Amino acid sequence: MINQNETILIVEDDSQIHNFIAYILKQEGFSCFIAKSAQNAMAVLLSQKIDLMILDMGLPDLDGMEVIRKVREWSEMPIIVVSARDQDKDKVSALDAGADDYLTKPFSAAELMARIRVLIRHLHQTVKSSAQPVISVGELSIDFEKRQVFLKGETLHVTPLEYNLLSLFFRNIGKVLTTQFILKEIYGIGYGTDTQALRALMAGLRRKIEPVPARPRYILTEIGVGYRLVDE
Amino acid sequence: MLDFHETNVVVVFIFSVLLISRMTRGYAYGICSSVISLLLFNWFFTKPYYTLKVNDLTYFITFAIMTFTSIMTSALTTKEKQAAAEAYEREYESNALYQMTNRLTDAEDASEIAEIIVKTSSDVLNCNTACICFDENGVPEKTLIQHKSDGTLVRRELTPAEEPGRNGPADTSDSECQYPIYAKNMVLAVLLVPRDTCSTMSASQTRMLHSIIESAALALERLRSLQAQAKSREEATQERYRSNLLRAISHDIRTPLSGIMGTSEMLMDKLKEEDPNYVLAEDIYQDAEWLHNLVENILNLTKLRDGKLVLDKQPEAIEEVIGAALMVMEKRIPDRVIDVDIPDEVIMVPMDAKLISQVLVNLLDNASKHTPKDREILISVKTDNEKASIAVADRGTGISEQDMPHLFQMFYTTRSKDSDTRHGVGLGLAICQSIVEAHKGTISAQNRSGGGAVFTFTLPLESD
Repeated sequence: MINQNETILIVEDDSQIHNFIAYILKQEGFSCFIAKSAQNAMAVLLSQKIDLMILDMGLPDLDGMEVIRKVREWSEMPIIVVSARDQDKDKVSALDAGADDYLTKPFSAAELMARIRVLIRHLHQTVKSSAQPVISVGELSIDFEKRQVFLKGETLHVTPLEYNLLSLFFRNIGKVLTTQFILKEIYGIGYGTDTQALRALMAGLRRKIEPVPARPRYILTEIGVGYRLVDE
Repeated sequence: MLDFHETNVVVVFIFSVLLISRMTRGYAYGICSSVISLLLFNWFFTKPYYTLKVNDLTYFITFAIMTFTSIMTSALTTKEKQAAAEAYEREYESNALYQMTNRLTDAEDASEIAEIIVKTSSDVLNCNTACICFDENGVPEKTLIQHKSDGTLVRRELTPAEEPGRNGPADTSDSECQYPIYAKNMVLAVLLVPRDTCSTMSASQTRMLHSIIESAALALERLRSLQAQAKSREEATQERYRSNLLRAISHDIRTPLSGIMGTSEMLMDKLKEEDPNYVLAEDIYQDAEWLHNLVENILNLTKLRDGKLVLDKQPEAIEEVIGAALMVMEKRIPDRVIDVDIPDEVIMVPMDAKLISQVLVNLLDNASKHTPKDREILISVKTDNEKASIAVADRGTGISEQDMPHLFQMFYTTRSKDSDTRHGVGLGLAICQSIVEAHKGTISAQNRSGGGAVFTFTLPLESD
């Protein structure tokens, strides 16, 4: 993965942290910009082509939530939130505002890199997905045109609801989807609070795609937040 | 002999009766005076003079009318006078009560209220009353406020006979009657009135006393609710302050810790593993991580132990929670295999998933510390009608006899380990216990036959 030429913006006011993030990003071959305030970040975003943003929620001039909302007005770039706030509701509101992932401080470099890689890879996939109707994650693949799911090359029988759920995850690989978001997408508005139905649906789906449902490979549970489809 | 016409004499007679009843109290004087005047009239002005005999029998009619008129006059006057006196008394009463309520509204604490009612009741009843206040738990104070004959108030110790019960006045005292001051079935204070005053109190005095007690009850109740409001305001402020502090600590410690951990990780990355400096960087990283665990545990425990923890209970699939805990463990110890044995059907248990996954992480962490890499660690789930039992079993060193009774104590770490291995903080299991008990479940530890230990906790399947 040395031929990466993506540019990553680090928005973080703590110099120790942005130093080490910048260091590991450069090690991995990314080029990066550092912004120490929301205002600074906006200036960089307007003048440079940024592919991904790492955002600290506690900025000196503006709440991170506001930055997410502003960026989402004109860009779909992946945003990874890095925050010392570990309340579930902070995570959920950041994700609902449009963030793609959320890491609580302190986090390991390996963890951050893994999250970045998934989102970057997914970035290329979405660009191509209109041309390529089949997306694979591990041994699991989905054909959007034929509305079919394959596991280890064989057709997997899923209910329409399970298909909708899987296609939602495949369209958002690597991204944490909040429970509320999934409920809205799958059942429509009005079923917004029936998390138990989603848990049951998820358990059923896992029994079809995961060898050990309690040790999922594909769809991971982010307790108190939601789910994420990974491709490692 | 006075040259008076008889009519004049009669008018003077009636006037004198009127005067007498006006100046005296009660009906008796008026009636007496009218009878005496009549006899005098008979003596002096009817023939034969200077005798009580009467020649002209028509005089008897005059006498009868005179008597009747004079008695009525005197009766009316006396009644009028009594009404005036009563009105005066009422005015005095209402004035005294008005003064008292006025002062009661301004009173700032219970003893001030007690002073006011003691003073007013002493004035009204013309004796020396006293008052014992009760605190908000319904316990009487050890001293009372006593009115003295010179008009001053003193605070003195209660005599044993005066001591009231929790539920109201005592009747043991020979010298005083005790009147309770109630509000909402709770005794707020007790008013002590000398027993001889009690037995001689007039109706109006009794009425006054009741009014005083009523007003005092209102005033004390108002004071109580004000105090309760102030207290809850204060508690809310403290709670806000505390949670702000916790948030600030967790935020301000996490940020530099991520700096330290990240930088040392960066150093480890730069150095080769055989470089002697690599160990130094690794030590920094491990210490920072240990510190991080400590801080997280302390923060968690503070939240749990304050009893302020609000469980976010929802039906959760137990496999998801176990999966999340395994994910955490995989990051911490990537090469450690943990087996899972759960029934095929989906088990939904009402719980706060985040907290229960923390229980699992703590138990797994413990198990992996005491179990060699190649030995088994197993999570298993069993259910019956009432509860789900989740067990974390290992084939490690087991639990020693001396550790067993202290396992779930805060800050207890095992004594039987080598001194050079890093000790735990001794909070993990205490946190587990707090979380499980908050869910109305149980947690226990046993040694397994064949070696190793097993920690089992239960969660009720019915949400309450």
